[in-house]
Parts: sequence; structure tokens; C-alpha cells
Amino acid sequence: MKIKRAVITAAGRDQQELPLQRLVDRDGVAKSALEIIVEEAVAAGAHEIAVVVRPGDEALFGAAAGKSPTRLELIPQPEPLGYGHAVCCAHRFVGDEPFLHFVGDHLYVSDSSLRCAQQLVAVAEAEECAVSAVQPTRENMLPYFGAIGGRRVAHSRNLYDIDTVLEKPTPTQAEQELIVPGLRAGHYLCFFGMHVLTPTVFELLENGGDAGRRQLSSALGKLAGRERYLAFETQGNRYNLGVPYGLLTAQFALALAGKDRADVLSQLVELLARQPGSS
Amino acid sequence: MSTLVAIIAATDPAERNRSIESVCQGASPETLLAECAALEAFRRESPSLYERVRALFFLSCIHRYHLPTALVGRGAALIPHAGYELLLNRRFEEAIEAFLQHQADHGPSDALSSALAVSYRELGLQTLANQVRRSVRSLRGNQWMFRVGHPADHSLRIRPELLASRGTAAEQGKTFPVLRESTPVRMDLSHAGWSDIFFLGMDHPEGARVLNVSIDLGVHGRDAAPKPPVEAYLRVIDTPVLRLTSVDLGASAEISDLGEVFDFARDHLGLLKAAVIAAGIVPPGIEGSGASLADLLARVVGPGLGLELVSSVNNIPKGSRLAVSTNLLAALIAVCMRATGQARSLTGPLEEAERRLVAARAILGEWLGGSGGGWQDSGGIWPAAKLIRGVVATEGDPEFGASRGRLLPRHDPVPLGASLQDSLVLVHGGMAQNVGPILEMVTEKYLLRSAAEWNARVEAGEVLDEIISAVEAGDVPRISAATTRNFFGPIQTIIPWATNIYTETLIDRVRERFGSRFWGFWMLGGMSGGGMGFIVAPEVKAEAQAALAEIMADTKRKLQHALPFAMEPVVYDFAVNTHGTWCDLLDGSQAIMPAGYYVLTIPQLLKTDRRELSPSRRAELDSFGEACRTKPELSGMIHSLFDRLFPREVGGRTNLGELRATLAELGFDEVQHEQIRSDLHSGRIGLAQNRLPASSVIEDVQNQDVTGFDRGAVPDETMRRLGMEAIGRGEAAVVTLAAGIGSRWTQGAGVVKALHPFCRIAGRHRSFLDVHLAKTQRIARLAGGDVPHIVTTSHLTHRQIAEAGLPVILSPGRAVGLRMIPMARDLRFAWEELSHQVLDEQKQKVRDSIHAALINWAETSGEGNDYTDNISQQCLHPVGHWYEIPNMLRNGVLARLLTERPQLRWLLLHNIDTVGADLDPALLGCHISGGSALSFEVIPRRIEDRGGGLARVNGRVRLVEGLAMPREEDEFRLRYYNTLSTWIDIDQLLKVFGLSRADMLASVGPRAGEIAARIDAGIRAVAAKMPTYVTLKDVKKRWGQGQEDIFPVAQFEKLWGDMTALPEVSCRFLVVPRQRGQQLKDIAQLDGWLRDGSAAAVEALGDWT
Repeated sequence: MKIKRAVITAAGRDQQELPLQRLVDRDGVAKSALEIIVEEAVAAGAHEIAVVVRPGDEALFGAAAGKSPTRLELIPQPEPLGYGHAVCCAHRFVGDEPFLHFVGDHLYVSDSSLRCAQQLVAVAEAEECAVSAVQPTRENMLPYFGAIGGRRVAHSRNLYDIDTVLEKPTPTQAEQELIVPGLRAGHYLCFFGMHVLTPTVFELLENGGDAGRRQLSSALGKLAGRERYLAFETQGNRYNLGVPYGLLTAQFALALAGKDRADVLSQLVELLARQPGSS
Repeated sequence: MSTLVAIIAATDPAERNRSIESVCQGASPETLLAECAALEAFRRESPSLYERVRALFFLSCIHRYHLPTALVGRGAALIPHAGYELLLNRRFEEAIEAFLQHQADHGPSDALSSALAVSYRELGLQTLANQVRRSVRSLRGNQWMFRVGHPADHSLRIRPELLASRGTAAEQGKTFPVLRESTPVRMDLSHAGWSDIFFLGMDHPEGARVLNVSIDLGVHGRDAAPKPPVEAYLRVIDTPVLRLTSVDLGASAEISDLGEVFDFARDHLGLLKAAVIAAGIVPPGIEGSGASLADLLARVVGPGLGLELVSSVNNIPKGSRLAVSTNLLAALIAVCMRATGQARSLTGPLEEAERRLVAARAILGEWLGGSGGGWQDSGGIWPAAKLIRGVVATEGDPEFGASRGRLLPRHDPVPLGASLQDSLVLVHGGMAQNVGPILEMVTEKYLLRSAAEWNARVEAGEVLDEIISAVEAGDVPRISAATTRNFFGPIQTIIPWATNIYTETLIDRVRERFGSRFWGFWMLGGMSGGGMGFIVAPEVKAEAQAALAEIMADTKRKLQHALPFAMEPVVYDFAVNTHGTWCDLLDGSQAIMPAGYYVLTIPQLLKTDRRELSPSRRAELDSFGEACRTKPELSGMIHSLFDRLFPREVGGRTNLGELRATLAELGFDEVQHEQIRSDLHSGRIGLAQNRLPASSVIEDVQNQDVTGFDRGAVPDETMRRLGMEAIGRGEAAVVTLAAGIGSRWTQGAGVVKALHPFCRIAGRHRSFLDVHLAKTQRIARLAGGDVPHIVTTSHLTHRQIAEAGLPVILSPGRAVGLRMIPMARDLRFAWEELSHQVLDEQKQKVRDSIHAALINWAETSGEGNDYTDNISQQCLHPVGHWYEIPNMLRNGVLARLLTERPQLRWLLLHNIDTVGADLDPALLGCHISGGSALSFEVIPRRIEDRGGGLARVNGRVRLVEGLAMPREEDEFRLRYYNTLSTWIDIDQLLKVFGLSRADMLASVGPRAGEIAARIDAGIRAVAAKMPTYVTLKDVKKRWGQGQEDIFPVAQFEKLWGDMTALPEVSCRFLVVPRQRGQQLKDIAQLDGWLRDGSAAAVEALGDWT
């Protein structure tokens, strides 16, 4: 298996502006969030990248994606029919090959020398199957993520065989259906916003039967029943730009992991010291 | 190895199910104590919860039944107070250690065994209850709720469909949609001998089986058609509060403080609060966190928004045995879970996994609310008929390794081949009973594997198989035969108290009326008298419904003073519900609450300026107004609203004019009443002031202070002959005190205790008075004389006992008091200063909350004011048994007796519930030969004997009331307990009152007026020396459909035992066997009383006709 293409979805009603937000990356360079994601994809080996956007947003996103050495295609999602449908819009672009997929409103900071997407692609290529990046997440964040249930792969520290996938489960559902032995109580493996998917997912999405909005999670749940599908506990963290203070937190994470760490820290300390009431 | 340990540890079921009696019957004290030591060591070491629990019940049983018999003749002993304190504080392990240490130091005794029996039993029940709780908490789907400690931890969100009018829509005057859950109730065709008790399902899952059916219900003649009786409504509101309303209990509250959600007994909304918590909206883990409810609601529902939850049970009476409250709790939980996405479907039925979770959450909710039902009780959320079975725990279950069975059973549908509706007449008999003690009795009996009960349990299982097969075959007569066999066979073998004379009279009368067309009887739930079924041939069903209404009303009328009824009996219409619980989303103009909700809330809203109402509230009222004009079912709303706005004076409250008239008729002393009120207000009298001075020296009596009749020795033949001859000459009479209404027996409901048929003896249900008369008849026959039997009555009991037409002489009470609202000071003293049995964690929380509410009630209603907010029977009170003998002087009964029987010299005075007391010739002989004015019977103390005892007080031997003990621990220095049974020398007693026999004889002649004045003066003089105790009494206030509230009220009493403190009264104290002296005060005592041979001993004392 070789991953050559990446798909970034950025057509969601509530997330359309998020990829366009500008941040300062680890190297101290101001970029849009989309550009940072594109760089992540490129670093992972994707030579062709598609961004699914709302009709009319192509120019805006094209500019925000920066000057990438790869081919960039902007694909409009004609109607807002859900996340799954947005992925389907890239079917023609991807063709009959596995692909790397990102959501457009998450940023990633790796804890290792390899970027998060590089780690994921390496696992997918080695295991030759679909793999979703996951992160143990406290149950109070369940309303924001898809989550998986499964078993740890024998002799592996960070790979799981997926049995169940639920989109934004309630803690009640999660406790009953998303059991992962070995995880801390009250924690679940939630999606990282980054997947390597096989073309089967298009078939499942297109024949999903849902007349209305199509959800990727339900297709991924079915994928687990059709073929080998793993979850990979990535060494790194994801930052959801869409939650309250998400952008700010992501910026701090990037800055504190980058070359300007000392500067940012000292500014932070100064800020703290100037809190009202402090002398 | 000990035999009993071997039985518990056996793998062979035949050995494991051996009963304890087979080993302990007739064993020596040494053998029993050796078994106890082995069991004690075993229970401490065994890793298996059920081995430990069974060992605890074995230990309790040996100390309760076997050791006392083996230790007869060893005399009275003390119980260490320190151990008792530990027991009250539920520190059972430490209490057991304290008692065992005392046993090692001072040797075994009946008293100590009574303490150990209670401690082991309570520890056993606590261990089981803890296991159930642990299982509920550790159930997947429930665990997270105990981890949420802050609103930011909360991950539930309201379903978007319920926020449809959020934002602009609300401003435009639209209401939020309403989610309505409609749930049937369940009736069980058989619970296989109470096998649905959690503990039993978890101990022996194979035996835990119930067949239950979900039904819609209507009251025959009131409701047009049966419908799911339980409804729960939920909607979003535009205020950040929880608004809870119980339509049936007429209660509504807006809660803005998180702590109040956990305050279950503050109002009548405890069930709704428990549902909000058990559904995870306000998770149990957040209790006490200090978090803001508005923040939590903002997280779950949205900023500035709140939730409204409304319950309605279509006026189905309480105590129906149809698990209405558990199913209501389940419906409330289900609607909350649907609203927060915890069920896949917002509307329609639930999926199986969701039903199971709702059932588990209902168990959690019941635990939180301090109540508890069986595991079949939420069966209404499943459709139609199902077999509910215990499941063996396997690896991966949280119960595995701790208990044999899982907490939650499985539900398998059973095809209903028979049309039960055509034959079954479902009724509520109107009786109110507490099933709690019965469930504990069953648990204990099963864990002990008592032979008769264990065999009955097996038979109940066979009956269930027969019922299932008959249900599938559609053979209603066979079902009827099986349910009837179940009731008269295994159910009554296991718990004789499951039946009563009311139920059996109904069965007899229905059988008499319908002959072979009456197919059978069916007991619903834990005991009979409330919800019951009568199965008849289909062609007479309509006739039977009418007939049963008439028969029940008539039988109730005849027995209403003897048995506790909470309401008029009703006949139901019902239909099998094939959906189980079901939910609808009501939107637009349909989005309104049940009609009763508006009756409750509109009067309040009318007081509010329309401009201050929120837009959605205004829109809702417009929708409701429109619905009233167009929907025929709401046509009576205007009248209902008018009645609510201008309520009429209705029952449940005393007419003050009538009350004053009754008081005057009963000789109420207004001056004394005002004096007592003034003394109460000023603090001169009160609970704390009941006590003797703290400097009083309270010591145990010495052996020479008492005469022993308790050692099992043959009574002195001379004494026996002396007594027998006196009885033969007609010198003796019996006085039974029967002024009381069995407050403790009926938990405040009130029956004429003398007439209460409490037990079946010699083949028939017998009342307390029947039992006493049978004993008097026997003695009279043996002595060959005539023995008058006097019964003292009060305004509460006189007419009823007179109407019973028994061969007794009535001595009507001549003193009555008017109860008062208690002083908050006394309530605090009673609840905070005195020792009480601490309840398990959650129940204790509920009790504390009730106490706070009642103190608030006393303060806001006016401490020391007359208590008149109830029926007059509950407002008046008898003023203590001291007055009963003086009454006999005043009311002419003694004068008439002495005129008709000049030879009469001796009276035996005893309480109505001292069922073993009789005119024993040997004791009478002893009294005669002793020459004292009064001889009091005392018994060796056991742990349950609280409330005073025989003591040397500052050197004088006398009886001391528990109320008067300066320190609670003083009571534990006293070996003997007062039975109140007193032998009286009439002449000496008259002398105490400054009177003589001649005066009494003259009181019915021309000098009547003069003598009456002397009698009054004599009584007043002695009364002045008697202490007046202020006591608190629980009274029930009934309202609605079988609902009851219990209020503590203050009253005053003078007590007979204080006669022993008068220096001019010569007293002796006779130690009698326990079986003779023990009093039956509580229904929970009955089982032990039957089992320890006391009942048989009483039976042997009477001539039964």
C-alpha cells in the first residue's frame, strides 16, 4: 500500500472559516491553518491534495492553501449533505486507491521526530489496511468527537482492532459499546481527525441508504465489519479549532513546541504576572 | 469441621440446601457455641460474599432461636451499652466484637444472644444491600455518572429536536416541543415466592423467575377506557431552572440550586428528582460539589435554558401492587434519557438494550430515593407478557466472583394465548400495608434454607411453570387454579402474613356469589389486601366487577376499624399493553402538558403580570386555551380551575366546631390543656424535661428485689392452688387496656388494635381481644368460676369495641387530650440528642431531609398550637394508661363490679399487645400471699426491649420509663424490662386514692354525688404526684389517592408504671418468662414470634371456639 493522495474536508457549516485562520507555526512563520494541514499531508508523502469546500469558496481556500509543491484540487460540495457526503465528493479525485484524510478544523503537534500524519501513514503502509488515528480522550469531550471500541492488537503498544465506531456518543453509549481494555476509566479512543481510508469507504458511504445527511462514522463502523480496520494511538496531540478557545489553544501548542518556545513562555509569564489584583 | 460450615461450603446441592434446624434442634449450649465460633471464623475468612452472608444468617438464627432455648434457666443478664451504640450507628462488625468480648468475659446469656442475633442479621442484610449497590454503580452505562464532579465534565447534550423553538422561535411566541413518555404498569402472575428480591436473584438466579404482564389501566366507572396509566413529560424551558411537577401529588417546584435536587424529602417531588439524577442529567457524582445548576443546565440544554419534567399517573391509587411508582420512575428516566440522546430513538418504543439500561437506572433511582423494589418492577417498559429470569454471573460481569447471579435479569417474551381481560377482575382492596418487613423475612428464610419455606419455594417454582404453560395454552381456568393454589399454598407457607381476614372474606363472598363461575384468586405483589385479582367465567365478568365493588365496600365497612385501610376499594378496567413504554414528540399546538398540570399551575400564573411571563409561557397558555375550546377531554377544565382557585373545605381537616363539641363530651380539661401549652412554650415541660434529675442514682435491682418465675421451674403448687381457688370463688377479674389504635403496628394508620386480627390461631384469624378472651375462658373453665373481663377504651376505640359484641365489660375513658404541633426544640431533641438506629447511607439522607422539613413545618405552623389539620380521630389522644384504673373508679364500672360480685378482690391489668398474659393461678397465688397492693410482672431484658425497666432509683426499687432515664446508657444497667402486666389488690389500691370498698358500693346509691366528688379529689391528689411526660406521636394525614404524610405531634401522658414510685404503694416484682411478658408492637415481630414457639404457647393457653 502506498499513500499518494490526501483529502481535506472544509465544507462544514460551522467550520468553513476555521481553516482560513492565520496562526504562527512551529518555525515562527505566519500561515493559515489550511496551509499547516497541507504541509502535514505533504510531509506524509501525499503528492496530490484535494480540499472539499462549499461552492464559491474555491478561490479563498486556494489562496489560503499556500504555495505547495503538490497538485492541489478544490472540490465543491454542491449541497450540505453531511461529512460523509463531503468525503464522497473526493471519490473521483482519489480513484480506487487508499488515501489520507484530514478534517479541516484540526491541527496536530507531534511528540516525536515524525509528524503525526507520517506516523499514521507509516502504520497504514506497514499493516496494509485502513487506519484511523486516535487519542485517549476524557469522556467530557465525547460530544465533540467520533470514538471507537476495540481490542489492542497483540504485541502492539498503540494499535487497536476496531469493532465499533460511534459519532459523538453519549457517555452511556460509550461505556456500554466502546469498551477498550487497558484504557483509563472515563477515557475513550476518540478520532484524531486524521485517517488512512480504503476505497471501500466510498462504497459504504454511497450505498449507506441514508436519504439525508451521510455520516462518515457510521460508514467507518461498517468498514470494521468488512475489512481489517485499525486505530493507531498517535504520538502527538490534536487541537480542535472549533471548540471554545480552540484556536488559542492550538496556537499555544504550536508556539510552545516550536523555536519561539522561550519567548512565548516568558510573554505568558509576564501576562500572568499582570493579572488584575496582582502586584 | 463444624457441621454448619460444612453445609455452607458444600458443593453438593443436597448438602448445601440442608436447613439449620436439622443441625441445631435440641443441641446443647456448648455445641451451639462451638458452631457459632466456627461460623464466626469462617465468615471472616471466606472470600465468597454469599458464604459470608449465609454464615451471618446462620449465626443470627442460632442466637435468635436456638441459644435462648438452650440457655433457659440461666437468668437475666446485661447487654453492654457500648455495643448497642455501635449497633445503632451501623458499625456492625465492631458491635459484634463488643458483644463477643462481653460473652467471653461474662458467659453467654439470652440478653447477649438477642444483641448478637440483631447484629449478625443487620450485617447480613447490609452486606447484601451493598452488593446490589455496587452492582448498580458498576453496571456499564451507569459508571460515568459517578465520575462527573463539575459541569465541565458533563458530556450529555439535549437533542436538537427539543430545541426547535430556540432563539427566534421562542421570541416569536412558539413553545418548545414536549416529549411524552407513556408507560404501562406491570402485574405479576407469579413471583415464584418473592424470588424477585434482588438478593435472592443474586444468590440463587436459577430460582428467580417471574411472569409479568404490562397493562393499561383505568378505574372502572370513572375512566372511559384503559390507557397507559403512567406518563412523563419533558420539555426545554427558557429559564435556567429545573421545573418539576407531580400532577397527582399536586406538587410543583422550580429548582435553581443543585443541592435541592438531592433533597428528596423536601417536598413530594422526590421521585422526579431521583429520575433527573439517575438519568444522568444531574449526575450523582456532582452531589455536594457546590457547582451551579444553571451552569450545568447551560452545558446540557443551552445558556439561559432549563428543563421541565412533569409526572402523571392518571389517579391510580398508591399501593396498587402494580409497581406504579417504579414504572413512573422508569418512564421519567426513559424520557430524560431520550431527551439527552441516551436512547437511539427519540420517539416510539425503546430497544432491548435501552430498556435494560432504564431498568438498571430505575434501580439506581430507587436506591437514591431510599426505597427499593423488586427487579421485575420496571416490567412495564417491556411489552405484553414476559418471563423475567435471574442470570448466572459469568466472567466479565461486575458481579462475577461476588455473587452467583447478575443484578439485572433477562426478559423473554411469552405468548399470551389467553384473553385475561375477559375473565380477570382487577381490584384495589383499599388496604395500606408496608411490604418491607415481608421482603426481609423472605430473604432470611431462603438464606437459612428453612425446610418448610424452601420446599414451598420449590413448589412456587412449579406453580410458575404451570402458569406459563396455561398462559401459552390460553387456558384461563388452569391459570386460575394455579394462582389460587399459589396463594393458599406456598405463599402462605413462606409468609403467613401475606393473607388477612379481609382478603379471605372477599374470596369467600365472591365464591358464594358466583359458585363454579368463580375460577380463582390471584394475589398481586408482596401481600394481599391492596392490588388483587379475581378470575371469573367471561360471561359474568361485568357482573363480577359490579359485585366486587359492592362486596369490597361492604366488607371494608365491617372491618375498617380492625384493619388499616388507606382508601375506598376500587375496581379497575385493564388491557394488555403490547408496546411497552412509548414516546411521542408533541409539537406546535399539540405541545401542551396534561390537563392536571394547568389546574395546578394556572392559579399561580394568574397572579403574575402577563408581561412578566416568558414568551413561551404566554404562547403555551394560548395553546392550552385553544385546546380547552376544541378538545372534548378538556371540557371540564373551567370547573377544575375554579375549584382550584376557590377551594372548598373538604375532608382531611377537622371541623373545629365539631371538634370542640367532641372534646366537651369526652371530658376535655381546657384549663389543664392551656397549662400544658404554656408549660411547653416556656420550656417547663418537654422531651428533655421528662428525665429524672441527672443526680439520680440508677442501679440494677438485687436478686432479692424480685421473685423469679422465669427459670423454667415448676411453680409452687401451693401458690397455684391458692390462685386457682381464688379464681374459682370469683375473686379475680382481668382488665385489658385497649384505648390505643396501634400506631406503631400500622405505622400511624390507626386501627382499633384490640380488634385487629393479627394472626391465625387454631385455624382462624384472631384479634388481640379474641386471644385474651380465649385465655380468660380457659382459666375460668379450669377454675370452675366466672371471670369478668374488663376492657378499657377511649374515644378512639369505645364504639367499635362495643359494636363487636364481645362478652366483655367496657370501661370508657374519661380523659382526653388535644394534640399540639410540637416544639421544634423537642423535635431536635428527639432526632438529634437521642440515639437512633442510623439507616443505610441513602435512607439516612432521606430521613435527615424529612426531619428538616418537619422542623420547618412545626415552626411555620406555630409551635404549641392545637393540631387540627387532620381528621378529629388523629387530633385527639388518650392521655396515658395511668388514667385507666382511675377511669374505672369514675365511670362506675368498678362500683358495678363490686356490687354484683362482692367477692372480687384481685385484678390482672395488662396491655392489649401482651398476648401471653393470662390469669395464671400461680402468679395470682404469689400476689395474694405477698400481700402487696401491686405486683408488677417483669421479663429478662433483650436488646429490643427499649423504654425503661426495673431499677433501684436512689435506693428505691421501682419501674422507670425510658423517657425518664437521665442518661440513655442507664437503661443498659437494668436486667429487667417492664411488661406493664400488674396484679392489683383492689382494696389496697382504693386506699391509695383515699377510698374504700364501701365508698365504691355507695357510689351507685343516694350518696353518688358526694362519693363522685371524693373519687375526683382522690384521683387528682394521686395524679398530682405522677409525672407528666411530653411525647411525640406520629400521625398519618391521608390525602389524594391513598397518599399519606406522617407528622410528629406532641401529646402528654401519665404512665401506670410510675405508681411504683409512690412510697404509699407497696409493690412486688415478679420475673415471668418472656413468652408471657413480651408485647407485640410491630408487624416485623410476628415471624419470630411464630417461629420461636411463642405463638404455640399462646395457643395452648386459650379455649378457642
